[in-house]
Amino acid sequence: MSDTDLSVPFRQRAGSALGDKHLQEALTIATTKFIGLRREAFGEFPEGERLRDMAREIKEATLQHLDRYVDQLIDSVERLGGHVHYATTPEEARRVVLDIAARTGARLAVKSKSMASEEIHLNEALEAAGVIPIETDLGEYIIQLAHERPSHIIAPAIHKTKGQVADLFAKELGRQVAADPEELTRIARVELRQKFLDADLGITGANFAVADSGTVVLVTNEGNGRMVTSLPRVHVAVMGVEKVVPSMTDLMVFLQILAKSATGQKLSVYTTLVRGPRRAGELEGPDEFHLVLLDNGRIRQIAGPLREALYCLRCGACLNVCPVYRQIGGHAYGYTYPGPIGILLTAMLEGPGSVKDLAHASSLCGACADACPVRIDIPRMLVELRREVDEARIASWTERLAYRLMETILASPTLYRWSKPLARLLQRPFARDGRIRSVPLAFGEWTRTRDLPAVARQTFQERWPELQNPTATPGSSTATGEPCDRSRLAPESGHPRPKPDSRHPLQ
Amino acid sequence: MTTRAEFLSRIRTEVGKTSGLFPAGTAQRPSDPRAVTETIKRELAERWPHALERFQLEFERVAGVFHRAASLVAVPQVVAGIARERAVRRLVAWHARELGGDLLDSLAARGLEPFAMPPGDLDSAAERAELRRRVADAELGLTGVDLAIAETGTLVLRSGAGRPRSTSLLPACHIAVFDRTALIESLGQAGVFLELWNRGAHEDGVGAVTSFITGPSRTADIELTLTRGVHGPKEVHAIFVDQVIRG
Repeated sequence: MSDTDLSVPFRQRAGSALGDKHLQEALTIATTKFIGLRREAFGEFPEGERLRDMAREIKEATLQHLDRYVDQLIDSVERLGGHVHYATTPEEARRVVLDIAARTGARLAVKSKSMASEEIHLNEALEAAGVIPIETDLGEYIIQLAHERPSHIIAPAIHKTKGQVADLFAKELGRQVAADPEELTRIARVELRQKFLDADLGITGANFAVADSGTVVLVTNEGNGRMVTSLPRVHVAVMGVEKVVPSMTDLMVFLQILAKSATGQKLSVYTTLVRGPRRAGELEGPDEFHLVLLDNGRIRQIAGPLREALYCLRCGACLNVCPVYRQIGGHAYGYTYPGPIGILLTAMLEGPGSVKDLAHASSLCGACADACPVRIDIPRMLVELRREVDEARIASWTERLAYRLMETILASPTLYRWSKPLARLLQRPFARDGRIRSVPLAFGEWTRTRDLPAVARQTFQERWPELQNPTATPGSSTATGEPCDRSRLAPESGHPRPKPDSRHPLQ
Repeated sequence: MTTRAEFLSRIRTEVGKTSGLFPAGTAQRPSDPRAVTETIKRELAERWPHALERFQLEFERVAGVFHRAASLVAVPQVVAGIARERAVRRLVAWHARELGGDLLDSLAARGLEPFAMPPGDLDSAAERAELRRRVADAELGLTGVDLAIAETGTLVLRSGAGRPRSTSLLPACHIAVFDRTALIESLGQAGVFLELWNRGAHEDGVGAVTSFITGPSRTADIELTLTRGVHGPKEVHAIFVDQVIRG
């Protein structure tokens, strides 16, 4: 197994994930556990809902003046003696990091978990330039040894069993290793401790960057974020430009909800606030501090349809509750960011063409928006993406033809009237018990995973004259004030109509 | 390469195209954080026993070990107890100035091998490397605490001269000593201190990093099995000292 092969269609990727029994089990256990932990954490935190609203508002307020806050962040970092770099593309970001590595003669780089560095595929570039990158988050270390990508934003290796991890460690160390999480963790501690001490370069992302004090904030549970920012002689932080927050007061609002949303902890074990290189009198800390501000499609979304996705804190809560993610896991999505928010971020970074299938990998149930600590309306943007995908004519011709036909017919009462007898005629060979289980030719795509309701023997429109005359249908009346007649919603349920409520005063 | 001007102008252009999704403001910052921190401290001068109780509860919930000592002089005895149970001796400590007192002789008398951090930076890279080896070999790290947050059981430590980051990071067992002047109630209050600390010119001797530490290092990356001490300390002990350390 290696990186997800994007030449394999999404449906096939999802299909093989569905067929992977172990993955299915691991996903259910992990996501169910995270959902429970999150619910408990917010359950005993009555201020949570108010803080979520506040956090959402701060994100929006920051975006409304992002130019000002980024400018302030740059000034603050430079005042502290740090260097700020600007990267429009992933290539540029990689170039910046490689230049720093080359100039400082770095041979070994330790990394703490960073989705931004995943996004720019930094490890491959470092390796090619002769710098050994070591992922130090235990989950990331495991998948680095396996040459894979993270399958969950905050639990990158949930798809691996302890047996698989033991095999990976055994191969790396050239000796037998027990398949015991405690023992495996101990081995990783020893192995990686030496890397921390030997490394020249520390590479991190940033969960937040505080504009007015030039503070890069790293949230970890393992302590690797502290190691990476304290021991190597150079520290490079790569962050998406939307991660800036105005002040420490704003930061505290986010810290109060981030860990609760991600792992159900009140606070992650380590929140590390880094302000530039080591100061006079300090024994430790890097001599050089670099901040790489990454655009990669973000800036054009400030005024774009995916603006709200720029609020994302990368907590992973929307993955855990998503009925699609829970079935197919992170790899099937095929890009750096999986899950509902991942579809939006992929569209942001790679363009809408990249999500022509993924935009539909959602039931639009809204569970993601409910779980999101900053209440990002993910379903709304997924619908928007589907529209974009349609307008860009990237969808398959059959899909577009079907919708075009529907559009034409629904827009014309005459066509609509005549379409029904025609449909009844056409559906005759396929309809059974009011359902169409498969349709021929390329249109079969639609019925591959779902049934189509057949056109009723008599549609509502056809019954309308009869319904208008109450005497024609004994015992029924259109004046009962029934809020909803089931026969209108489900034509196949048709006659007989349910008995009107006898308690109704008008009866 | 993209320049600062280009980068910012691109952001400015996009920001100018939209008024945003809805009217929004940022969090209200304290206009005079020093005054607010003083109010917090004044109020806690009375309420601290309640805050301490909550701290202990939350600290223990995140697998911290809580101890109490009458005064700083009684701390070495507690530390020696922890060391004895684990059959370890090598200890590194913040400089006496940062701990609030010199505990080295007392620790040594109880069978430990204590080593204090220098008051500032060292002269050469070789000396620094030698010191790092010593810290990496130590089994116990003894530090002070700048803030202890009751709501979350969190210890806040600022790096700086005489208080290096590694003391609370490399040894497998971190022991932190604090008194009631460090106690605060909430993360919101911690935010006011951060506003205060990060405002204006740098103070001498203040380092670049502030660490929030909430229990021992942990991971659940292998089959969601909770395991402690993956990179940072496996154990975190907090010793509350009743008599104010710098009284």
